[in-house]
Amino acid sequence: MPAEDMGKLSYRMRFTFAVTTVLCVAVLAISPVKDFRAEWKKYKRSFVKFAQGRPDTKKLLADYNPNIDQIWLPGINVVDRCTTCHQGMTQASLADTSLPQPFRAHPPIPHNARDWGCTMCHRGQGPATEVAEAHETTLAWEQPILPARYLQASCGSCHHKDIKETPQLARGRELLSRLNCQGCHKLSHVDRPALGPDLSSVGYKVSREWIYKWLKEPRNVVDKDGNVTVTGYESGDEFRMPQFRLKEEEIRALSGFLSVQKAKPIETYKINPAVVAAWSKKPDLLPQAEVRFRQMMCTTCHPLAVTRAGETKLIGGNIGPELTKVGSKVNEEWLVAWLKNPQGYLAHNNMPKYGWSDEDLYKVSQYVMNKLTDSDLLTGVPQLGAPSEDEIKLGKRLFTEKGCASCHGLQGISPQKEFGPDLTALGAKNASELEFGKAKIPHNLPAYIQAKLQDPVAVNPAARMPQYAWNSADLEAVTTALLSETGPKATSALQHLLIPKDDASFQAVGDFAEVYERYKCYACHRFNGYGGTLAPDLSYEGSRAQKKWIADFLKNPQTIRPTLILRMPQFNMTDKEAAIAAEYLSMAVQKPGVNPESVSAAQFTPAMVAMGKQLYEVKYQCQSCHTIGGSGGYVGPNLNNAGNWLTPAWIEAWLRNPLALQPDTIEPKRNFTDDEISALTAYIMTLRAGTNPQASKSAANAQPLAQGAGR
Amino acid sequence: MKSKLLLAVTLLASVICTVVPGGCKKSAPAVKPDETFGAYDTELDWNDSAKLTKLGYQESQGKRIFYQYCVWCHADASPAGPSNRSNLTPVPPLLNDGEKLNGESDEFIQNIITLGGSALGKSAMMPPYGNTLTATEIKEVIAFTRAIAQPPYQKPGRPGSQYTAE
Repeated sequence: MPAEDMGKLSYRMRFTFAVTTVLCVAVLAISPVKDFRAEWKKYKRSFVKFAQGRPDTKKLLADYNPNIDQIWLPGINVVDRCTTCHQGMTQASLADTSLPQPFRAHPPIPHNARDWGCTMCHRGQGPATEVAEAHETTLAWEQPILPARYLQASCGSCHHKDIKETPQLARGRELLSRLNCQGCHKLSHVDRPALGPDLSSVGYKVSREWIYKWLKEPRNVVDKDGNVTVTGYESGDEFRMPQFRLKEEEIRALSGFLSVQKAKPIETYKINPAVVAAWSKKPDLLPQAEVRFRQMMCTTCHPLAVTRAGETKLIGGNIGPELTKVGSKVNEEWLVAWLKNPQGYLAHNNMPKYGWSDEDLYKVSQYVMNKLTDSDLLTGVPQLGAPSEDEIKLGKRLFTEKGCASCHGLQGISPQKEFGPDLTALGAKNASELEFGKAKIPHNLPAYIQAKLQDPVAVNPAARMPQYAWNSADLEAVTTALLSETGPKATSALQHLLIPKDDASFQAVGDFAEVYERYKCYACHRFNGYGGTLAPDLSYEGSRAQKKWIADFLKNPQTIRPTLILRMPQFNMTDKEAAIAAEYLSMAVQKPGVNPESVSAAQFTPAMVAMGKQLYEVKYQCQSCHTIGGSGGYVGPNLNNAGNWLTPAWIEAWLRNPLALQPDTIEPKRNFTDDEISALTAYIMTLRAGTNPQASKSAANAQPLAQGAGR
Repeated sequence: MKSKLLLAVTLLASVICTVVPGGCKKSAPAVKPDETFGAYDTELDWNDSAKLTKLGYQESQGKRIFYQYCVWCHADASPAGPSNRSNLTPVPPLLNDGEKLNGESDEFIQNIITLGGSALGKSAMMPPYGNTLTATEIKEVIAFTRAIAQPPYQKPGRPGSQYTAE
């Protein structure tokens, strides 16, 4: 190379440098360009345009800021940039659902987004600034947005105690509890009910053929053409026994094994032969028996299929098992023994021990055995005969292996531990942790849970979980409840947000404990948060009702609410039992501050009564909801006999604030003056019906469902 | 030569990154609908069982409150069976009665629920719920009323922006 060329670059070299430099600059420029074109900036700009097209531009843009907006709450691990694009979230004028997202206002909810963030409820990736990353599953983030229809699951991950705003979640939890999902799975914050019936002596109760049929198709009401007329859902309730996928020989083995379970002989009860002789010859035995069966109010707890106007449906409560075909199920000796003493067969069950007369017992058992039957129930079931040794052995093994023992007790067999997977952290699982198998469903958690509930083998061919028949509302409710099982909170700050379930318990004491247990008051009534919800809460009964009235009512229950269909049965209590219950209820279960003795009826003057009547009828028009003497509304209880029923102290406290005594009552709290309260109480205390229980009872029983249909 | 190739690859990669939107979209699972579908966030049209109205958060809360407190008199059937509506004179309007209620402002309905009928010169049979329900809850009931109104409710006032986001 010549000397003068030293240090000089060739043209070619210069050109290469030039091109490289330009390229470098171009590459460096990509970053700002990319930043300028960021998705969130597009939404920022279009919000401005959107606001300018509206009359309230100034208000909408008052706190506009062109940068990333975030809610940062270090205490609860929230870094949410959702408000970067969702800019109209707090603008009341953007509440209309026809407005485009992401600018629509958030509906007013009890939690303020500025204090709670967004991902706490909606899930998704808070710090993300791209639509897809924030909302969907990406390689780095597997917790996508929770679809809106399951959103109540997020409420449930902190609110273990049910709240009124989340009916779907509450229903899901109720189902998880009623269906005893905890027999096999571990769940948190779901009540654990009593198990399915204990089968230790089931061989005395039903035949091997019936068990075979039951295992094959647990529960359907089928008409004579073989059409299913009633499935669980038409009663608005689900059946607890699901369908297991069993092979023919497995059904034979299980039915064989169960049919020889005779741990404890039946306590046979012999109905007085004179009663049997007198009644069995009467041609109207069965019609008479039907009347008695209805009068016993069995359907308050047991569902029963009835056909009205060509349509078959289930009526009645859901506490006991359905009775439509029970006459073809149980044998008569067992039925009589059961009715006489339910706890003789099963130590723990919710059936009250009625005080039967022999005549009633005969009539009702005859009705059940002859009328609640289905002659076709066992058609198609092979004659099985006595089981062989091998069948019994196989049946015993299957009883544990198939999970029967997880719900049903059986003497000498204990359930397999951890039979189903632990579900306490299911709601926080990533899609990559789930086995989708060959199921053609979207790979996300809600879809997985739904598919598994609908058809367990669809996602896992080896699944042991039985088949349930959900309707779509319940399927979504259960999915919601399962999605709320997000396991323990990550940090102690989050742990503090939990609102635990109430630990309700009620212990009856003294003589009352025996009456309470015998008549199973708690199966329908609630005491301090413990017990059933079918009938009125009795936690404050002592403040509400007069002692004499309670005793009379227990001896002869009458309907207080005009529209009530499910009514309190007459247990044939003895006078002594009624007196013990009345004494206990009126003394021991009172609302603090509402002492029944504190207001004396003696102070009420005729002038107050007259004023009260005026207020009742004209100023406040209470008759719109309450009935007196057959006229008035059906919403509240009738007040025909209020003077003998309620205590003046209760009426005053109730008028002052009904919500304090019964938080979910329909009756609103009003601003009565003290004088008005006294006057209304004085008037209500004068309402006394000439009691004629016999007449009203037979009228009520003649048409149990037509109650209140006309004035 | 090698550096040029490297540069070209980098460039291409950057361009691809900027242009291609991330993530693939998956559709939500479909539940086979039956008559109970959407029991909590939809309402069947009261006159036309084939028409289902989708409810937002506020409206579905309104639905819950309506079926606890109002259904007894403002519908023709109640959860317990018979309705109390036929017992009352004047007959209370059905909640979906657009002809009666569409003309009333939100403020009026808010007031009559809060203060009761007699405070606004209407029937005293409508009791005041202002001490029982919060103002928010009453707004939720109104939102539900508007959602199920037949004929449909039109919001009063100036029409909103015709702008739609992409």
